Amino acid sequence: MITIIYRLIVAMVIALVGWNLFTEEKLTGQLNCAMVLIPLILRVLMIK
Amino acid sequence: MKINKRIITACLCLALSIVVCCVTGVNFLAARELPMPVKGPGVTEVKMLSDWFDGLKDTNADTPVYILEGSEPGGKMLILGGTHGNEPSGYMSAFTFIENAVVEKGTVYVIPYTNRSGMTHNDPGEGNMQYFTLQTQSGPRTFRFGSRATNPIDQWPDPDVYVHYASGQRLSGSETRNINRAYPGRADGTFTEKAAYGVAELIRTEDVGLTFDLHEASPEYPVINATVAHQDAMEIASEGCINLLLEGIEMSLEQSPTNFHGLTHRELGDYTDTMAILMETANAAQGRLRGKTSQKQVMGGQDKCYEKGEDLGMLYVPWEVNGITGHPIEERCGRHLQGIYEYSLAYSNANPDKQIVYSGVPGYADLFLNADPQYLGGSWLGSYLK
Amino acid sequence: MTTELLTFLAMIGVFLLGCFLCKLPVSISMVLSAITGSLVGGKGFALRHLVEGMFAYVDTILVIVTAMIFMKVIQESGTLDAISSVIIERFHKMPALMLCMIMVIIMFPGMITGSSTASVLSAGSIMAPVLMLMGVPILETACILAMGGILGMIAPPTNIPAMIIGAGIDIPYSGFGLPLTLMTFPLAFLFVLMFAYKYVKNMDYEEVRAKLRTQSREKYGFRIYIPLILAIFLMVVNKLVPSIPDIGMPLVFLICAAVGCFTGNKFNVPKMAKESVGAVLPVMGILMGVGMFIQIMTLTGVRGFIVNACLSMPSFARYIAMAVSMPLFGAVSSFGSASVLGVPFLLSFLAKKEIIVAGALSLIASLGDMMPPTALAGIFAAQVVGMPKYTPVLKKCLLPCFIIIVWGILFIVFANQLSFLII
Repeated sequence: MITIIYRLIVAMVIALVGWNLFTEEKLTGQLNCAMVLIPLILRVLMIK
Repeated sequence: MKINKRIITACLCLALSIVVCCVTGVNFLAARELPMPVKGPGVTEVKMLSDWFDGLKDTNADTPVYILEGSEPGGKMLILGGTHGNEPSGYMSAFTFIENAVVEKGTVYVIPYTNRSGMTHNDPGEGNMQYFTLQTQSGPRTFRFGSRATNPIDQWPDPDVYVHYASGQRLSGSETRNINRAYPGRADGTFTEKAAYGVAELIRTEDVGLTFDLHEASPEYPVINATVAHQDAMEIASEGCINLLLEGIEMSLEQSPTNFHGLTHRELGDYTDTMAILMETANAAQGRLRGKTSQKQVMGGQDKCYEKGEDLGMLYVPWEVNGITGHPIEERCGRHLQGIYEYSLAYSNANPDKQIVYSGVPGYADLFLNADPQYLGGSWLGSYLK
Repeated sequence: MTTELLTFLAMIGVFLLGCFLCKLPVSISMVLSAITGSLVGGKGFALRHLVEGMFAYVDTILVIVTAMIFMKVIQESGTLDAISSVIIERFHKMPALMLCMIMVIIMFPGMITGSSTASVLSAGSIMAPVLMLMGVPILETACILAMGGILGMIAPPTNIPAMIIGAGIDIPYSGFGLPLTLMTFPLAFLFVLMFAYKYVKNMDYEEVRAKLRTQSREKYGFRIYIPLILAIFLMVVNKLVPSIPDIGMPLVFLICAAVGCFTGNKFNVPKMAKESVGAVLPVMGILMGVGMFIQIMTLTGVRGFIVNACLSMPSFARYIAMAVSMPLFGAVSSFGSASVLGVPFLLSFLAKKEIIVAGALSLIASLGDMMPPTALAGIFAAQVVGMPKYTPVLKKCLLPCFIIIVWGILFIVFANQLSFLII
């Protein structure tokens, strides 16, 4: 149960980081968002 | 126009993330397939731990149990390998036992991957290798190098503080996924506690009289080249230890501390009728002083940082044994397998109606003392594997 | 020159080049530095390691994101204004006592959760307006928050670096309470008085009262405090009754943030959440970069090289090595410093009472949270008070940091004499 809740939290953070990715003006800022997304995506899918 | 450019670069960045996720995801998923031992001449049955505790069925904690039943009745013994997936001599000793042993009296249960989940991933920050390959009788075989703790995929998130339920002992949160802090386990506990409970159930149901838990420690850790035994097992451990010393194997013996909880040598002794013994060998790939990750380090037990560590007086093991620098896997498995032999012999002497007699398993001399030094570091051990 | 030293220099070189010459964000510079380390160390482009390293901080970034959302919610809903005005109204007559009390409140979330970030972003953000209203300048306020955060992280009952160091030599986390209390609280009181007393002692209450924003308090009454009371309750409940499962800091923060959306002023929740994440994205990126950096350092043997170099010092110089290397390594992470250097140092001082030594090492390791580029306590303290840069906070905190190191070393030197503290 707690794992599912935390997956939902991660999904929410992915959505918010993704939103920032598309509103971020600088390329380096976008790369930063993209990097943060990697572990979050792998965790929400329970791959790693 | 500006917005379009921003959207395009954002899409490219997102695509890059997804590509990296796909490439590494395939790698991480592949690590869940674990190489298994080949059934040796003495293996009479292979069961799953869920046969003793069905709460583990269809989970990553359900792990194979190799049963080697002798032609004559006798005592029962359990060997736990792979409690910690980053301590290869533990599970490689279990593999060697399964693939070579012939049991004459009694029954031996061997679990090569006690925390199966821990074998399916690697610890972040530790820079460990995922696989190592040994030349065996049937050609090259690849083995996994795993983690000390349960895969977070199976148990996540960690609490801030891990409270051992039976004693109230507090440890750092990540220890909640360490099976050797989870004993005696509980049926309705965390994933790791359930796995520990499965082991305890096996011991209780089968009336296992003697249990070995095979470990490794970093060379700078004080409890090393050591046996830790529950107070009930101290008598046979003392006899076995003397024999090991007479054979030239440096082995210290400690009684399990009563104030440190969750470990096999404490809780399995307290909560079951088994005599619980844990053994530690020196693993050059485990400590904070270690150098670059390589197979030479993991299997060969060689590391120039530890040579320096010895000069600094930081190590609790000599860094040269019998003219061999470092602690090759053959020396480490040899210690474990010789230890199992001597302690089980002492157990049989003390319990004539519950004898455990087996043969065919290489000991310290076969694996290390009589080995051709050029083949140490995996190849020599591989020659004992199918 | 050994390969490890060469790899280390290449990593540092690329990092500095990226940060200062190319003006890249710290996170991107760390990624480039980790990739360079992997190449120079003979491991090729170790993609699996780079990604695996990031997972060391997944839980931490969840705490940071949710703590930031919580902070924004209590700010927007008016809870912060309400609690600040209450504290000043009730306690303005006893400034020294009030300052000490404020410090304990700042430390509280860190004491409970073991995270300096939680302290600075939750209680820190509540107390910052109080301090500033009383006349404490913005810089000193940020310093109080930062030091409160790191001392809160070390203060009992929860000290994660001490647990990590203890786990390295298999000592359970018990008996640490009194030593850690003595290591942290005297310093906390000293620092808060050092930074703020001179501004607060002659506070003109009437002037301050005019600035207090009491509207939210008057409009919503008791319910404005519900998110805070709930946060304290949820943080403490499982520590008092261990049989209640720990739901973790991220969930605690989110539950309280959700409740806070209904207990005060109304605001645009999705926009607030997006802005909160945007504010912490640079730090999240840095932590990901740090994860890669440590992974590659370990993979290529640079970590072992550094640990060996620190331990090679003669015994008197070992104290200096410890005082310098542990906070420095904390630049990547204070928990990392506790694990990587804390354990070997504890082993090298094993003749001394290990609980006292482990506690003191955790105190020194905590300074990693004040060391750039991560400097979590410094960055968030500056962010909470609204400073554009965090470097002035770090400069101002140099003296307290030095005092912490000296205090920690004194505990190690006199560890055996202090063993009566272990109960």
